[in-house]
Amino acid sequence: MKKGIFIVILLVLGYNSIYFKKLSEVRNQQQTSFDFKTFADSLYYQGILKSNNAVELSQLSALVQSNPDSAFKAYGNRLGIGNSAYFMVKGEGKVIEKQASGLKVVTDTHTILMVDTKYIFGNAIRDASGLVKLTDFKTNADFNKLSEALNNVIREKAIPEDLKAINVGDKITLSGATKLSKTQDKSTTLSILPIRISKTE
Amino acid sequence: MNKELLKKSQSLIALFVLCLAISLLSDKFLTANNLWNVLRQISVNVCISVGMTLVVLTAGIDLSVGSVLAFTSAVCAGLLKNGIALESFDLFIGFTTLGGILAALLIGLLIGVFNGWVITRFSLPPFVVTLAMLTVARGATMLYTQGMPISNLGTSFEYIGSGWLIGIPVPVWISLIVVLIVVFISKKTTFGRYIYAIGGNEKAAFLSGININSIKLAVYGIAGLMAAVGGVLVSSRLNSAQPNAGTSYELDSIAAVVIGGTSLSGGIGSVTGTVIGATIIGVLNNGLVLLNVSPFWQQVVKGLVILLAVIIDQKSKKK
Repeated sequence: MKKGIFIVILLVLGYNSIYFKKLSEVRNQQQTSFDFKTFADSLYYQGILKSNNAVELSQLSALVQSNPDSAFKAYGNRLGIGNSAYFMVKGEGKVIEKQASGLKVVTDTHTILMVDTKYIFGNAIRDASGLVKLTDFKTNADFNKLSEALNNVIREKAIPEDLKAINVGDKITLSGATKLSKTQDKSTTLSILPIRISKTE
Repeated sequence: MNKELLKKSQSLIALFVLCLAISLLSDKFLTANNLWNVLRQISVNVCISVGMTLVVLTAGIDLSVGSVLAFTSAVCAGLLKNGIALESFDLFIGFTTLGGILAALLIGLLIGVFNGWVITRFSLPPFVVTLAMLTVARGATMLYTQGMPISNLGTSFEYIGSGWLIGIPVPVWISLIVVLIVVFISKKTTFGRYIYAIGGNEKAAFLSGININSIKLAVYGIAGLMAAVGGVLVSSRLNSAQPNAGTSYELDSIAAVVIGGTSLSGGIGSVTGTVIGATIIGVLNNGLVLLNVSPFWQQVVKGLVILLAVIIDQKSKKK
């Protein structure tokens, strides 16, 4: 009797836990659904790189120190409320260290930038761009898929190309996304997720 | 009698004093939003810690729970998102939310049982065995995820970590059910009494006919299962499985157990004490954030609280 009940429970759980489909059908279905990869490609090359909404890092730093509310209102992008926002920034600096995970750069104003070139994750670039909003997508999940696809384009295609020519001691210009908080320690190293890095000399 | 009562209630008194102090220092602490947030945050640690309590009651320790949490969370997310593709049969096995969760729980249970088996079969110290499993499970997580998060796991899965049910966050319901079950097991069943007996005096327990190995196997299995519950909660709350999830969770859960009055040498303690311990840690974390204390100082304060709890534990044992 006990065995029977146990088997019935197992069957009910199993029936509600897994389903079977033809692998070829699943693959076809995936191809015909919204192509995040293509959309992310176009957002990056046609949108983010061409839009001119990045603020000079030195200008932003000065404004954040003197009037954070104004800096956040003018240049910050965020989805909800809170003390933090994403910024698209640009600036120049000298590479002082080339690590496996990124570049350590010092700017003319002696700000240290950690430019992550390997671990490009999260929504910083999508949100800092200000070019897409949550309501453009059916679900939160789709909106997040865009971040994933966009990060992939930058991490796997764009940045490795840019990095090839860059060595320690080179002067570079870079643009990328950063997250700032009104309450954060202003002296901390700034972490940047790059969208473009190029050698200037 | 009064002294005994005071000793039993010391964690509860500590929690009350902590809440009172933080509420006097920050007007945001006693708001409904913040309190729900604290409960939601501690629910993961509560689940892991109740499993850890049973292990510690047998005078053991399980350092692998954080990594097991990460691994089960990754497997759950991977199955939900990608299923299993069998190329040679042109077959795709998809997993529903229930399927993904059950698979994660099963894997957590099996890892825990494996820990227990190695400890009992080879008479090895639990500290070493579970330390090894900590590394193995973390490595397996990195291999499975390729070091990248697995995201977008579906709204029904997300509901488990972020949803509300009858005005209470779902993770709080889950941790409450887990606590009730484990309290029942530890207080009202023979298995529970055996756990205390083994922790109190393993030799005496053996001589009285208790099958120590099978009890330990089950206890470590439950700890693994609870870590998997924590894994499901963490990944559903973020709607994503992070390869570095659960880092140092083993320390938080051991801290909750110790602060809650369970003796590290086994045999003495309770699951309800651990729940209070986990709440103290959660409230302490929340309070330090509300009071704008630097994250570095937060770690120092947490460490000192754990140290204080162990000193009190040792002193009361000597008495």
